[in-house]
Amino acid sequence: MSEGYSILVDTSRCTACRGCQIACKQWNSLPGTHTKNEGTHENPLDLSADTWKIVRFAEGPSKDGNPFWHFFSEQCRHCLSPGCMADAENGEIIQDEKTGAVIYTPKTKDLNYQATRDGCPYDIPRQDPKTKQLFKCTMCFDRITNNMIPACVKSCPTGAMQFGERPRILETARARVEELSKTFPKAKAINPEDVRVIYMVNDDPQKYWKLAAGK
Amino acid sequence: MTNHWIDLKNSDCILVMGSNAAANHPISMKWVQKARDKGAILISVDPRFTQTSAKADIYAPLRSGTDIPFLGGMIKYILDNNKYFKEYMVDYTNASFIVGPKYDFKDGLFSGYDPKTRTYDKSFWAFEKDPDGKIKRDNTLQDPRCVFQLLKKHYSRYTPETVSAISGTPGDELLKVYEAYASTGSKDKAGTIMYAMGWTQHTVGVQNIRAMCIIQLLLGNMGIPGGGVNALRGESNVQGSTDAGLLFHILPGYLAYPRANLTNLDSYLKSITPSTKDPMSANWPQNLPKYFVSLMKSFWGDKATKENEFGYEWLPKLDVGQNCSWLNLFNTMYDGKIKGFFAWGQNPACSGANANKVRQGLAKLDWMVNLNIFDNETGSFWKGPGMDPKNIKTEVFMLPVAASVEKEGSITNSGRWAQWRYKAVAPPGMAKPDGDIMIELFGKIRTLYKKGGKFPEPILNLKWDYVDDKGHFDPQKVAKEVNGYFLKDVKIGDVEYKKGTLVPGFALLQADGSTSSGDWIYCQSYNAQGNNMARRKKEDPTGLGLYPGWAWAWPVNRRIIYNRASVDLDGQPWNPKKPVLKWEQGKEVDGKKQPGKWVGDIPDGPWPPMSQAGGKYPFIMKPDGLGAIFGSSLADGPFPEHYEPLECPVPKNQLSGQFTNPTITIFSGAMDKHLTCDPRFPFVGTTYRVTEHWQTGIMTRWQPWLVEAEPQMFVEMSDELAKLRGIKNGEKVKVSSVRGEVGAVAIVTTRFKPFKIGDLTVHQIGMPWCFGWMVPKDGGESANLLTPNVGDPNTAIPESKAFMVNVTRIEGGK
Amino acid sequence: MTISRREFLLISGAVGAGLALSKLGIDTGPVKAYADELKKVDKVKSARRTTTICPYCAVGCGLICSADIKAGKIINIEGDPDHPINEGSLCAKGAALFQTTANNPNRLQKVLYRAPHTDKWQEKSWDWAITEIAKRVKSTRDNNFIEKNSKGEPVNRVEAIAHIGSAALDNEELWPLQAMMRALGLVYIEHQARI
Repeated sequence: MSEGYSILVDTSRCTACRGCQIACKQWNSLPGTHTKNEGTHENPLDLSADTWKIVRFAEGPSKDGNPFWHFFSEQCRHCLSPGCMADAENGEIIQDEKTGAVIYTPKTKDLNYQATRDGCPYDIPRQDPKTKQLFKCTMCFDRITNNMIPACVKSCPTGAMQFGERPRILETARARVEELSKTFPKAKAINPEDVRVIYMVNDDPQKYWKLAAGK
Repeated sequence: MTNHWIDLKNSDCILVMGSNAAANHPISMKWVQKARDKGAILISVDPRFTQTSAKADIYAPLRSGTDIPFLGGMIKYILDNNKYFKEYMVDYTNASFIVGPKYDFKDGLFSGYDPKTRTYDKSFWAFEKDPDGKIKRDNTLQDPRCVFQLLKKHYSRYTPETVSAISGTPGDELLKVYEAYASTGSKDKAGTIMYAMGWTQHTVGVQNIRAMCIIQLLLGNMGIPGGGVNALRGESNVQGSTDAGLLFHILPGYLAYPRANLTNLDSYLKSITPSTKDPMSANWPQNLPKYFVSLMKSFWGDKATKENEFGYEWLPKLDVGQNCSWLNLFNTMYDGKIKGFFAWGQNPACSGANANKVRQGLAKLDWMVNLNIFDNETGSFWKGPGMDPKNIKTEVFMLPVAASVEKEGSITNSGRWAQWRYKAVAPPGMAKPDGDIMIELFGKIRTLYKKGGKFPEPILNLKWDYVDDKGHFDPQKVAKEVNGYFLKDVKIGDVEYKKGTLVPGFALLQADGSTSSGDWIYCQSYNAQGNNMARRKKEDPTGLGLYPGWAWAWPVNRRIIYNRASVDLDGQPWNPKKPVLKWEQGKEVDGKKQPGKWVGDIPDGPWPPMSQAGGKYPFIMKPDGLGAIFGSSLADGPFPEHYEPLECPVPKNQLSGQFTNPTITIFSGAMDKHLTCDPRFPFVGTTYRVTEHWQTGIMTRWQPWLVEAEPQMFVEMSDELAKLRGIKNGEKVKVSSVRGEVGAVAIVTTRFKPFKIGDLTVHQIGMPWCFGWMVPKDGGESANLLTPNVGDPNTAIPESKAFMVNVTRIEGGK
Repeated sequence: MTISRREFLLISGAVGAGLALSKLGIDTGPVKAYADELKKVDKVKSARRTTTICPYCAVGCGLICSADIKAGKIINIEGDPDHPINEGSLCAKGAALFQTTANNPNRLQKVLYRAPHTDKWQEKSWDWAITEIAKRVKSTRDNNFIEKNSKGEPVNRVEAIAHIGSAALDNEELWPLQAMMRALGLVYIEHQARI
């Protein structure tokens, strides 16, 4: 069996242009929701049935006197052993063998939303309040099974998102951590053995997003 | 841009100052990142820690309006530490020129100043000439009146301590920037600058850029890959619309607009033809008469004849000194003297500085024609805040136009690439391409003038055949006219060109009426090879990312302009690892030496390198052929000098007794208020953009995905300022200047820090100018209600980047 | 114009193209509005594709519009992977270009006229609007035409009509636009570059 695909999210290259956030909406025909500025550029403030990808912004003072401003392009990690699938015994959630994508089917409306959400270490699943169906990133399943890379990855200008066969992505991540470590001793890939969407950070993961490394 | 976007990857040190490329030109960061992956240093200098700063190796804050002290200090650092590229400076710049005895500089004023007219007599800054008319030079750079020595003297006052005390930049950050950037003065290193409106929107805007040009010339960074002076232009075709002369002071191809004192063609042509006595100067502008006559042939077609001076009379003339630029235009409108107004794809009710005055001006019009793809605050001004439609007479015609993907034509990017785009679908509803609207409107006007009217000649004689066989606007026809035709059989050298064929390139344009060309710098864009702007070839022979077969760049597909400065006197690249140009000696064939040739990019002219007979200086658009460290044509002085913004937080200019730029025009009407050092407006304000919205937001605020990501007007401020005013993050606050006020959501952030300016603590805030009252409903207003309508003396671009404001809490203002 | 199909070939060793979702035991589909989505990828693959250049900042990124010819509608816009500047990538604005098209119900689609002292738009025909604008141009021009300046020099200009814009037009529209305005005698001709 092939090892499927992975996505690398190299936050050290991310400029928060939010091409990925919009490209996700465009390809998946998701509506724009009503938001307000709550004192941050991050918006929407949370994932939802209509928002499967958001760039999180985090800032604060750092030791060298300059602030830090971290950008974290959040999405489903497509876990190798998805916690959200624990109760999905009737095919509500499918893990595609070839790609490794974790797919929510319309049958997810029959799942216990809270339990499914609690089962995800990264708090990704969201429910459509009307249909009760659960939604999240599909890894652009329709694209990757048609020789197209995911919409978010394609939109990324700086190489902050890369898509490919899992072994190659793991190797890219390893080499990049080695490179970044020269300048940033805290540089690391987050849970590369457990997830297909591998985030790379050069600071404490929690400084990017409270659940960057999971619960 | 002298260079182009992909070329950023060739840089060793990228200074982002006066721009926030990561937010406003996001894809540029692809190439910045590639340079960084190869070890380049990224520097961000900005009052606020931006998305660009977040990726930078060095970040240095500075107070808005203090770029000249910052850069002047860098000039001093380069000179004091011998970081300049001496060969380049001596051979390729005017560093060695001797300045005449009338030049002087005292306490912030250059010689030749007339306080009554607030202008300089620039003849005081002229160079000394030999009896044969050549400019005197001292290549040892020792003469105390040579440009190099005057430069040294001028910037000797810009010590790091003084600079820090003006700009608020901590001294060690300043030196870090200077050291990193000055390291590009070595032959094998390239430094580049990415700037935008953060530099231009000041009363010293042009001199901000001039200061950087001086640095680039000192370090030998002009004309080389990874170098140059790069304006990051903000609109998809603002380059093309400038090239096309949609500005009061220029015709297409940057030909100076004719003035009334130039009463005939000859006097006009003389006025645009510079001369030089130096045989090594190509003085390319001496060809401008050919381009003007060819332009007139494109304007008037067969109606332009030698006998009628090619229709010169039909062009409207400006009085000497008459300024019809933006601020004057709206001032005249506010005074009620403009009756009819076309706002063609532009939203001045939100984009104009002191926008309240603009909006009042719109109410004084008889009629307005507003063309856009969305409803906007300009066309609908009569129902905006504070307006009572009953009292507003202005008739408004709002015309729906095609969007970019609904028509065919080219646009020119910041790197001067003209790129063709295609029609994907027809426009919705009644919307039409702008081109069709022009054809119909001018056709109708012409019909009316056929029955009589004032001075009908230009209207009746304009060549106006840009339609296809169905009567629709035909962009291909215009593109060919802009390129230009041979209008009769012409023999040039040994080659015969047939009447009706497209001119291969501007070197073949003629001043006798035998050629046409709507815009000489676009001559070659569409010729016998076809529509060069539509090319999609991906070869990259130099490996430098020039892609000469992709689209087409003006002039003559040159991708890096001034590229003859990238080689030494023998034509060999300063940096052999990145050869954008290289002279190859001719081989011997049958005992006969063949002529040499340039390989790489299209060189700035065909001449051999400077060390050979017939060689020319590299800066061919300068009459004297050399890069101008001393710039004697500017309105406000040959060297950049620091003046405080018209509105500023400090009581005096620490560098001289001259507080503000002595040559700016200050309007004095009821709505032209400005205040400096006034306790009611104690904070420095600045404006900027966000990735998700474009300019006034009129295209993006109607789009749900983008509004979702940036929904509302905000004001960013430091923790310290928020504390001072009792403001919490996310609260609604009021930001006001003497000209107006806007509501905004407070973003309290560590990314703004108060500046230490001597004993003063100066707070600065920043706001986007992408919002407006129309949409989204709770989006807020334009920051341009606050900005001052005072402009740079050279360009008249308003000072939107530094002005004084107050910020107050709105009680219960969540 | 030829456009390579390279964006479909970016995955090395890709799984079989067009893998049928039914093989995964999914009847009604995995994603939101499944039926539409499945159609979308197929539609995009068979759409008429044209290249364009982004209408926002002046980086000049390339995009590909996929249009359903029968419906005359754009169904998808994404980056042009062959374009040497953006290589397929886009920022938030570029990625949202779809919402500037007819897919956005907010687009202006009618000719509108606001009469003096009134508080609403009236819908008009193109012919009416063009005729009325032409009349106003002529009368304002003729009533305010300046033949000579105070020195008696011929100037042949009109200061009572001004034009601003537009950095959003194509080069081929800009040239006739400036020619037309100058033929009318305008000198207040300005655009975005000034501000």
